[in-house]
Amino acid sequence: MPEVDRRQFLKLAGAGGAAAVGCEPVERLIPYVVQPEEMTPGMPLFYASTCQECPAGCGLHVRTREGRPVKLEGNPEHPINRGALCGRGQAGIGRTYHPDRYHQPMLRGGDGEWHPITWELAAETLAAMISGAGSKVAILGGPTGPTLSRLIDQWMAAVGAGTRVVYEPFAFEALVEASRSVFGVASRPLFDLSDADFVIDFGAESMESWLSPIEHARQIEEARDVSKHANGGARLIYVGPRLSTTAGNADEWLPAKPGSEGILALAIARVAFDRARARGRPVGGDPALIGPVLADFSPEAVASQTEIPAETIRRIGEAIAASARPAALPPGTALSSQRAVVTTAAVLLLNAVVGAIGKTVQIVPGAASAEAGSFDDVIRLIGAMKSGDVEVLLIHDSNPVYSLPPDAGFAAALEQVNFVVSFASIPDETSGKANLILPDHTPLESWGDAAPRAGVRSLIQPSVRPLYDTQALADTLLQTARAMGTGIAARLPSGSFRGVVESAWSGTDYRKALAKGGVFESSPSGSPVEVAEGLAKLAFKEPQLEGEGSFVLVPYPSPHLYDGRGANLPWLQETPDPVTKIAWQSWAELSHAAAAALGVGMGDVVAIETPFGRIEVPAFPRGGIRDDVIAVPIGQGHTVGRFASREGAARGANVISVLPALTDEAGGRAWLTARAKVSPTGRFERLAITQYSDNQRGRSIAEAVSLGALADGSSQTPHVSSGSGHEGSKPGESHELLRPYDPAADAAAESPYRWGMTIDLDRCTGCSACMVACAVENNIPTVGEEGVLRHREMHWIRIERYLGDGEPTLRAGRPAHTDRETLGGVDVRHAPMLCQQCGAAPCEPVCPVLATYHNPEGLNGMIYNRCIGTRYCSNNCPYKVRRFNWFDYGIHQWPEPMNLMLNPDVTVRGQGVMEKCTFCIQRVQSARQVAKDEARPIGDGEVTPACAQTCPTQAITFGNLRDDKSRARERAREGENRAYHALHVLNTRPAITYLAKVTRDQGREAAAPRGGGGGSRAPAEQGDDGGRG
Amino acid sequence: MTPPPAASVAAMIRPAPIPDDSKINQDILYVMKGTSPGYWLLLSIALTFVGIGAAVWLWQIYEGLGIAGYIHPVFWGVYIVTFVFWIGIAHAGTLISAILYLFRAKWRNAINRSAEAMTVFAVMTAGLFLGIHVGRIWKAYFILPYPNQRGLWVNFKSPLLWDTVAVSTYATISIVFLYVGLIPDLAIARDRHSGWRRVLYGILALGWQGTSRNWKSHTRSVLHLSGLATPLVLSVHSVVSWDFAMTLVPGWHSTIFGPYFVAGAIFSGFAMVLTLMIPVRRIYGLENYITDYHLDNMARFLLFTSIIVGYAYVFEYFIAWYSGVEHEQTSFWMRTFGAYWFSTWVMIVCNAILPQLLWFKRLRTNVPFLFVLSVLINIGMWFERYVIIVEGLSTEHDPSAWGVYTVSWPEIGILAGSFAFFVTLFLIFLKLFPIIAIAEIKELAIHAKLHPEGGH
Repeated sequence: MPEVDRRQFLKLAGAGGAAAVGCEPVERLIPYVVQPEEMTPGMPLFYASTCQECPAGCGLHVRTREGRPVKLEGNPEHPINRGALCGRGQAGIGRTYHPDRYHQPMLRGGDGEWHPITWELAAETLAAMISGAGSKVAILGGPTGPTLSRLIDQWMAAVGAGTRVVYEPFAFEALVEASRSVFGVASRPLFDLSDADFVIDFGAESMESWLSPIEHARQIEEARDVSKHANGGARLIYVGPRLSTTAGNADEWLPAKPGSEGILALAIARVAFDRARARGRPVGGDPALIGPVLADFSPEAVASQTEIPAETIRRIGEAIAASARPAALPPGTALSSQRAVVTTAAVLLLNAVVGAIGKTVQIVPGAASAEAGSFDDVIRLIGAMKSGDVEVLLIHDSNPVYSLPPDAGFAAALEQVNFVVSFASIPDETSGKANLILPDHTPLESWGDAAPRAGVRSLIQPSVRPLYDTQALADTLLQTARAMGTGIAARLPSGSFRGVVESAWSGTDYRKALAKGGVFESSPSGSPVEVAEGLAKLAFKEPQLEGEGSFVLVPYPSPHLYDGRGANLPWLQETPDPVTKIAWQSWAELSHAAAAALGVGMGDVVAIETPFGRIEVPAFPRGGIRDDVIAVPIGQGHTVGRFASREGAARGANVISVLPALTDEAGGRAWLTARAKVSPTGRFERLAITQYSDNQRGRSIAEAVSLGALADGSSQTPHVSSGSGHEGSKPGESHELLRPYDPAADAAAESPYRWGMTIDLDRCTGCSACMVACAVENNIPTVGEEGVLRHREMHWIRIERYLGDGEPTLRAGRPAHTDRETLGGVDVRHAPMLCQQCGAAPCEPVCPVLATYHNPEGLNGMIYNRCIGTRYCSNNCPYKVRRFNWFDYGIHQWPEPMNLMLNPDVTVRGQGVMEKCTFCIQRVQSARQVAKDEARPIGDGEVTPACAQTCPTQAITFGNLRDDKSRARERAREGENRAYHALHVLNTRPAITYLAKVTRDQGREAAAPRGGGGGSRAPAEQGDDGGRG
Repeated sequence: MTPPPAASVAAMIRPAPIPDDSKINQDILYVMKGTSPGYWLLLSIALTFVGIGAAVWLWQIYEGLGIAGYIHPVFWGVYIVTFVFWIGIAHAGTLISAILYLFRAKWRNAINRSAEAMTVFAVMTAGLFLGIHVGRIWKAYFILPYPNQRGLWVNFKSPLLWDTVAVSTYATISIVFLYVGLIPDLAIARDRHSGWRRVLYGILALGWQGTSRNWKSHTRSVLHLSGLATPLVLSVHSVVSWDFAMTLVPGWHSTIFGPYFVAGAIFSGFAMVLTLMIPVRRIYGLENYITDYHLDNMARFLLFTSIIVGYAYVFEYFIAWYSGVEHEQTSFWMRTFGAYWFSTWVMIVCNAILPQLLWFKRLRTNVPFLFVLSVLINIGMWFERYVIIVEGLSTEHDPSAWGVYTVSWPEIGILAGSFAFFVTLFLIFLKLFPIIAIAEIKELAIHAKLHPEGGH
C-alpha cells in the first residue's frame, strides 16, 4: 500500500466528505450581469401602488426583492389606510403568483377546447367580432379607476359598442339616492368617526366590509382610545340581527328585527328631535318638515316592530342627542333590503337631527362615484342578452356567473351571446363560459389609478414584470381598436395605457406622485346641507321579504372572502372567520333555540330553501343571533379555482344562489330579500373550526376592565408594572415567591435590547389582518380544509375570541363548541395570541437538542436546522403557539409559481420541524444592519413586525423594552392599570404585555331585547353569565 | 417481599418428583428443539405485522408525521404512549432478575430468564418508538452528546435527553444481565447440540467449563450486576415519568409521577410475564417448572402494584381537587367525563378494580383467569399512558386551543407492528436460548434434595 501522507489524506477525506454532502441539493446563485438600477441584491425595493381588492382604495407599498413583490404593506402616507391593510389586501399579492393563472390568450375552438393563441391573433379575432356585431357589443365589468374607465368609454365610442355596465356586487346606490332624497344632494356621504363621541351602526359592518373598513375601524378605535378619552371615548352601538365582528366591538348590541333598522333610526331621531325642540336647538332642517315625518315613530310605536324595548330606544335617543359629535351609519350589504333607500334615508335623517352633518358626516356634492353603475343596469343588460341584443360581451374584473343570483338568469342569457370575451387573469366561473380569454395583468403588474373619494387620487404602478404572456385590459382594447382600422384607432390615444395614465396625471408632479402613491389632499368638507323637501316623499315602511318560511335569510359579506373574490386566495380561506372561527367552509348561523327546534347541532347539514333555490349548509348554532334569522356568509360555493373549489366541486354553498334578483328603490342590489325554509338533511359535515371554546374559564387570557374600575383605580386585572414593579395584585394573592417581573429583564445583561410588544385588546377588533400579514411575511403555508379539520393550521398568530371572563364550571367544554354568546351580549374579547417570547420560556428547557433557546435579546430563538421534531416544546407551551410541519409543506403548499412570492429573508421550513413566531427577526436583523452601518443602536419604530405593521387599529406595538421611551413601553405605561400578562399564574414572564379591554358603561342596565331572544334577558355587559339563548 | 419458607421452596417444583439433571436439561432444551407448524404460523403472522409496521413507518418518514392522527395541541400520541408502555413492560424483567435476586426470592428462578428476555425485547421495541416519534429521524442523532466541530451540544436540562440516557443505559444493563445469566445454560446447550448451534453456543458460552472458579465468577457477576440494575428499575421509569412531570401541562405536572410510573411499570411488566409464560408453559409442558406457586406469587405482585397504581389514581384526583387549581381540576374532569372518558374508565377498571379479584386465592391459581386478567391489565396500562399523555395535552391552559385527538390507522399499524416485533423476537428467542434458567433450577433441585425438610 502506498504511503498516504497528510496532504493526500486530507484530499481523500475531502472527497469523501463531498460525496457525503452530495445528496444535498445544489443551488446556484447567479449574479446579475447587468445589475438593474436601484436594485441591490438582498435589499428590498418598495413601490407605491393601490390595493384593488375592494373599492375602498387603500394605498400600498409593494415590497419587492430582486424584482419580485414579496409583501404588500399599507402606504403610511395614504390618508385612507395610513399604513394598514386588511387581510384581503395582504392576501392580494397571491393573485400575481396564483397557480391557476392564464398563461396566454386562449380561444375556444369548435371542439370546445381551449387553444393558446397570440395576442395579435386575439386582437384580430376580437376586432373582427366587434366589427361584425356593430352596436351589439357590451362591456360588463367591475368598477375601475377613473383613467381606465374613461378609456373604456372612449374605446366604446370609437368602436361603436353599445352598452357598458359597471357591476359591483356590494355597491352603495342606496346611499347616494338617500342622500339625494334627504338633502337634495346626490352624494356618497363621507363618515369621519375619528373624533366622534357616539356612533350607532345600523348594520353597516363598518369594521368589516362597508365603504372603507380599515379607515372606519381606525377612526372608531381612535375615538375610543381610553388613554386620550378618560370617559372611554365614543360609545359604539350596533344594530343588527347577529353578533358580527363589528357588533363584538360595540358597547351595546340591539338585535333589532332585520329590516326594521330604518324605523328604529326614526324612533331614535324622534327622541332626539323632541329633546332638541324642547331645548330650542336646531334639528338639521325645517322642523315643520321633519316633525311630521317622525310623528308616527315614537319609541313606543316602533318597539313591537323593531323588537327593541321603548325604554332602550329612548335611552339611546337621549344619549345620541346629548353627544357632541354623534354619527349614525346606515346598513351595509347584509341589511340592504328592497327598501334600502328609505332605511338609509332614515339613518341620514337621524344624522341630520342630531347635528352630525358637517361634523362626522360630510355631504360632498358630486362625491358620488359617478362611474358606478347600478344593479338595475345589470338586470337590463341580462334582458338585452336574452333578447339577442348583445352579440359580443366583454367581461372584465368581475365574476357575474358566480355573484349574480340564478334568478337573474345571467348564465342562461350568456348562452344567447354569440361571443363572450373574458379578461380574467385567473379562471373563474365566468371565464370558463367565455369564447375568448384575454388575460389581464394582475394589479401588481398593472398601471392605473383610483379615486376612492374626493381629495384622494391614488396611482397603481406595476412592481413586477408580467409573469406570463398577459396584457393589460386597456392595452388589449387599444390593440383591438388598432386592428379594427386606423380610423378607429385615431380616435383613441396612441401608445400604451401607461402613457394614458401618465397623461391623465399631467397636472401633477407625476414622479413625485408615483413615489408617494398618489396625490392626497385633505378630505373636503361637505357643504352645509339641510333636510330637503324630498324627505316628505319617502314612505318609511318595513321591507317585504320574498317567500315563506320561518327564517329571515341574512346573507352577509364574509370579512375575508368579500363577495367571493377572495375565495381563490388560500390565505383568506385559511384565516378563520373572525366570529365563527371557521375556515375553508360555508356555514349557516342560527340560534340555539332554532337549532334545537330543528333538531340539528353543530355541523348538521341543513337545507335552506327559498322560492329561488336551495342550498345545503352545515349549521352553526350560536347564542349571538336572533331566533328568526338564519345567516349565511357570502363568498363560498365556487366551483372553479384551485383553492376556491373542492377540486371542481363546490366548496361550501353559494348563498347568492337562493336569493332573488331584486333591487332597492334606487336600482341598487337588495340582499335582505328572502325568507327561508330550513330543514335538516340528516347529513353531517365536520366544521373546520380553529377555536375549541370561547370560555376562557377565568384564566386571565383576555381580560377586561370596566371603565369605572379603570377610573377609580380598583381595576381587578392582574396588572403588571411596566417598570421594575411587582406582579400580582389580585386581592388575597401573594406573589412574594415570584421574582418581581420586569419585562425588560429577560435578556443578556450586556444586550441593549429586549424585544417586546404591547397589545391593546381594547383596540383589537378581531379582523385577523395580522394573521394574513404574518402568513405572507413568514412564508407560512396553508394546510387546506383537511389540515384545518385536524387543527394543523400553521398560523404563528391567531385571534382568540372569548366571551367574558368565562366560568370554570366543569360541565362547560362538553359538548364541544358550545358558545357563551347571548342575544344582546357584547362582552367579546379578541386576544391576538402569538409567541410570548417568555423570559422563563417553558419551551426552552425541554428541547433535548437546544433547537429552541433564549437569545441574548430575550427572544426564544428557533433553529430549524437543529430541530429533530420531538414536539416537546409545543407540549410545554401554555400559549399553544408552536406549529409543526406535519408534511413537507415547504414543497407541497407552494406550487409554481407561488414559490416566487416566498420571502427570501425567511427560511422555508422543511418536513418535521417546529416553527413559531419570531417577532419577525428578519426585520430586526435588517434594521440592525442599517443601524450598524451608521454606528448607532436600533431606534424605536425602526422595526415593526408584519402583524403590528398591518393592524388597522394599531392594537399591536412592538419595541425595545430596554428603551424606556419606546412606544411599546409608553403604551404599557399609559395603560398601566389595565396591563397584564396572559396566564400570568404560570410565571412565564412573557415579553408581551396585554392591555385589558375596556367595558364601557358597566353597571348601566342595558335593556334586553324583547323579541326573538329565546328568553335571554342578559344585560349587555353580562355576556359572561353563562346563559345561552 | 419476604422470601418464601423453605418448605414451599421444596414444594415449588411439585407436583412431579424432582427431576434429575438430565430430565431438566431435556425438558427445557426441548423447547428449543424443532418447530411445529403452529410456531411457523405464529411467526409468519408476527412477521407480517412487523412488515406492515415497517412499511407504515417508511411511508411516514417519506410523507411526514402528518399521516398520524396528531392534531394541535396534542403533539404526542400513540407513539409516545406505546413507548412508555414498552418501557413499563421492560421493568418486570429487571425487577425479577435483580431485585428478587438480591432478596433471595428463589421462586423467581423459574421466570427470570423469560422476564429478562422480555425486558430486552421490550426495551428494543420501545427504542424504535423514539425514532418513529421524531419528525426528522434522519437528524435524530443530534440527541446524542457526541463531540463535533460545530461545538453543538445537547441540552442536559431536557427530560427527553435524560430519557435517552436512561433508556440506553437500561438497554445495556438488561442485555448484559441477560447474557451473563445465560452463560451456564449456553454451555449446556453447546454440549447437547451439533452443527451451527454448537458453534454459536460455543462462542457465546465463552468457554464455560462449570468449574468452581467459573461458578464463583458467575455468581459474583450476577450479584454485582443485580446491584447495578436495581437502582435502574426505580430510576428509568422515574426518568420517563419526568418527561411529563417536569412540564407545565395540567395532568402531567405532578410530584407523584416517579413512584406512580414505577409501580405502573412493574404492574404491567408482571402482567406481560404472565401473558407470555402461561401459553409457553402450557405449550411446552413446563408446568413442573413454572408452577401454580409461581403464578400465585406473581398474582400477589400484581395485586400489590395494582393497589399502588389505584392509590395513585385516587391521589391524582384528590390533588387536582385539593390544589384548587382550576386548570388541573378541569383536566381531570375532562379526563373522566370528557372526550376520553372511555380510555379513562378502561384504565380504572382494568388496573385498579379488576385486579382486586386477586385477593381470592382460588383466582390467583386459576390459570385461564390469570391469563385473561393479565391481558386486560396490559390493555389497561396502555390506556393509562394514553389517558395521561393525550388527555393532558388535549385540555391545557388555553381553552381556545384545546383539541381532541383520535388515533389514526397508520398509528394502529405501527402499534400492531410493535407488538409483532416483540412477539417475533420472543419467538426467535424461544428457539435459540433456554427459556428457563436451567442452572438455577438445578441449583434449586439440589437445594431441595439436600434439605428435603426445609431450612437453608
